[in-house]
Amino acid sequence: MARYSLAFNAQVTVATNDTAALTTLKYLALGGNSATMQLKVNEIQIGGEASVAAVQCYIFARDTTVAATSLTSVGLNNSLLDATATAPGTLALFSNSSTTFPQRSATNKLINHSFNAFGGLVRWQARQGEEITIIGNTQPLGECSYSGGPNTVASQVSGHIIYELV
Amino acid sequence: MASLRSHEGVILIDHRESPGVPDELMVKAGYPVGAGRKVFESATFTCADCERVVVMNPDRSRPRGFCRKCNHYLCDECEAIRFASGGVCRNFKQRVDEMLNRRAREGVSSEVFQSPVIP
Repeated sequence: MARYSLAFNAQVTVATNDTAALTTLKYLALGGNSATMQLKVNEIQIGGEASVAAVQCYIFARDTTVAATSLTSVGLNNSLLDATATAPGTLALFSNSSTTFPQRSATNKLINHSFNAFGGLVRWQARQGEEITIIGNTQPLGECSYSGGPNTVASQVSGHIIYELV
Repeated sequence: MASLRSHEGVILIDHRESPGVPDELMVKAGYPVGAGRKVFESATFTCADCERVVVMNPDRSRPRGFCRKCNHYLCDECEAIRFASGGVCRNFKQRVDEMLNRRAREGVSSEVFQSPVIP
């Protein structure tokens, strides 16, 4: 139906273990906004902006605790890709800060992006029909986060997630 | 029947202008040795059962998990479950469709629901 690019700019990174609360402004959460909302993620790209070597181990994973209450999205930009498309009445939920922070699942990690923020970048694209599905608005399938896992060295990154709101 | 190549996505890790990532970290993250140096580009597939993205190691010689019923690749963990179950297809998208259809038939009385549980 409607394809979106959710971009994050100059995000400071931090290492966070699984099932631990993510840190404000150091992650990106994308989730459904109703019990039956369905999102299909088909591209994730991230690039480093560091001036010294800093290994990043970014993980796109389902969340065992979803972001809740006072969701904010500082520096995030959710744009409709097709200029002629009409935005649906209900948009997906995205945030990088909230009262209840999301927690990454220890078992439902969907893709790992390991790269060096000093000049490195990673891009994953799914074939049509092979996207990652986010469904509903509660755990375990209703939200995914993109954040620095263990071994991530503090640095700065930017990137985007392209998804379709079905 | 569509070619299995038609299910493949792609991952690009570009360290042309970067010191890269040590092999020990790349291997730990599921990539082949050398993937953290210069340019690494490989096919990927999304497991039909759990939706994990698997980076296809070009040097792998063992056969990959494959479900003949839905014509999709499976990750090694889901292939073990499929094999142990005697070949039962647990296609994720199909289960999501079934669940959404069931919910549509039941009607929605509130937007505050427990998350759908995919068995």
